Amino acid sequence: MSEARAIPAPEIAAATGWRASPLAMKGIAGVVLLVLWEAVVRAFAPAYVARPTGVATVFVKVLADPQFRAAAAATLWSVAQGLGISLVAGTALGLLMGRVSLVERGVRYYVFSLFATPMVAILPLATLWFGYNADARLAVVVFASFFSITINAADGARSVPGEYLEVARAFRARSVATLFDVVLPASLPYLFAGVRLAAGRALVGAVVAEFFISIPGLGYYILFNSRTFKHNEAFVAVIVLVAAGVGFDVLVNRLAQRYLPWARRA
Amino acid sequence: MTESRIAIRAAGKRYGQHQVFQDVSLAVGSREVVAIIGPSGCGKTTLLRTIDGLIPLTEGEVAIEGAPVAGPREGVAMVFQHFGLFPWKTVYQNVAYGVKLAGASRAQIAEKVPRFIDLVGLSGFEHHYPYQISGGMQQRCGLARALAIEPRVLLMDEPFGAVDAQTREILQFELLRIWEMKPTTMVFVTHSIDEAVLMGDRIVVLKGRPASVHEVIAVDLPRPRARATLAAPRFAALREQVWGTLMADARKAEFEVAR
Ligand SMILES: Nc1ncnc2c1ncn2[C@@H]1O[C@H](COP(=O)(O)OP(=O)(O)OP(=O)(O)O)[C@@H](O)[C@H]1O
Ligand SMILES: [Mg+2]
Repeated sequence: MSEARAIPAPEIAAATGWRASPLAMKGIAGVVLLVLWEAVVRAFAPAYVARPTGVATVFVKVLADPQFRAAAAATLWSVAQGLGISLVAGTALGLLMGRVSLVERGVRYYVFSLFATPMVAILPLATLWFGYNADARLAVVVFASFFSITINAADGARSVPGEYLEVARAFRARSVATLFDVVLPASLPYLFAGVRLAAGRALVGAVVAEFFISIPGLGYYILFNSRTFKHNEAFVAVIVLVAAGVGFDVLVNRLAQRYLPWARRA
Repeated sequence: MTESRIAIRAAGKRYGQHQVFQDVSLAVGSREVVAIIGPSGCGKTTLLRTIDGLIPLTEGEVAIEGAPVAGPREGVAMVFQHFGLFPWKTVYQNVAYGVKLAGASRAQIAEKVPRFIDLVGLSGFEHHYPYQISGGMQQRCGLARALAIEPRVLLMDEPFGAVDAQTREILQFELLRIWEMKPTTMVFVTHSIDEAVLMGDRIVVLKGRPASVHEVIAVDLPRPRARATLAAPRFAALREQVWGTLMADARKAEFEVAR
């Protein structure tokens, strides 16, 4: 009896010990990583290479720098605009693809091919069409994000359960009404997944476009500061990009939890 | 005699090589309640769908109010075996769906929706989503959605299949009460012999492969029907008759296997 009890006890302790620790573990891992980075850079790298203490010293100064702020605003605004365009146009095309077989057959291969096209490859073309300006960046952002939204919207529209469509038909809904009342809401979980994917691609697209086109933005800020040996400053821009990406992901998740409570059941 | 509201003439439905039912003829009067009963998979849902115009027949025709059915039409409502509630809509929004599509004004919607939610006993659950309520409650929500358009023809596919015995009884009498207030045409599918006898004016027994109308049993119980009807000797006799009709071949099959 006492033996039977004695055996599982350490297991429970171990289990609760692990369960309580993820946050602490993350913190410890982070600190270890930062310390390692600092030590390695100090030991082996030239002084201008970014390291945690260096980044920390310039962090506030960079964030307050009007030039940096303008760059961040330009990049993030372009990403927001591009995502907006892709969301509206990609959803429209995707839902049509999913529900109208003529549209599906017509554009399917183009959509999938363009989705698979590396966005970097179209950069020179974008500058040819739009010039070396913010429009070209916007075009790249749209190109980067449009097809993942389209494909997800199409998947969503295709997998609308037949029962819902049957109900819509039984109550004599017109097909346009059904598209908005039934197909769109039923596709929302897919759309949210598509937008999350698209946001990451859009950020990459904007930064790469700035590298290539050399217009003000976080990508160009990183490029310029790296070339002028201000790696700590460049790294602040990287942090802002990461924060934007993660922040958007969290936002989309929150929205899904708030507005798609029904989609969480298996 | 009033003209029949639903006229099914030599109807048949085939899926590829599979003849689901054939040679089904049935006329349903404007104030008549017809119960369809038959073994699982015999084509009851399929028949109901063709009456609603959701799927076409492969032979024969269905006419409602004299006009051949080519698609779902105004004044005809369907209660689905699969409930068919939209998971992203609340109970209120689901019930409002049909009413809205029927072109009701905002005021009409605001009046009707709570009334029919109350009727099926879902008051207090207006803002729940389907995943937050039980299967029986979902089924009642689907019933309210159909009733709310105040149809002249109500088609119901096992409308009480997912509710418990007590709720089922309550809803049966509730539906009978609604019908007494405003008699319309009702065709419903059920697996319950009691339900068929209690609610129906006639019971259509579908049977066979392919299925066809095996027998039509007239239910001569007086209306309004109430709990007392269940205790009437005539009720028990009809019950036995339907049971016998349904089980005849089942027993024969059993017998053949035994030989
Ligand atoms: N879309 C379809 N394609 C092919 N076969 C179908 C289709 N729909 C139904 N069937 C077939 O038709 C037959 C009758 O199906 P139906 O759903 O009408 O049966 P039911 O009498 O309603 O059964 P239950 O009592 O279990 O609800 C089944 O054998 C089914 O496989
Ligand atoms: Mg069925």
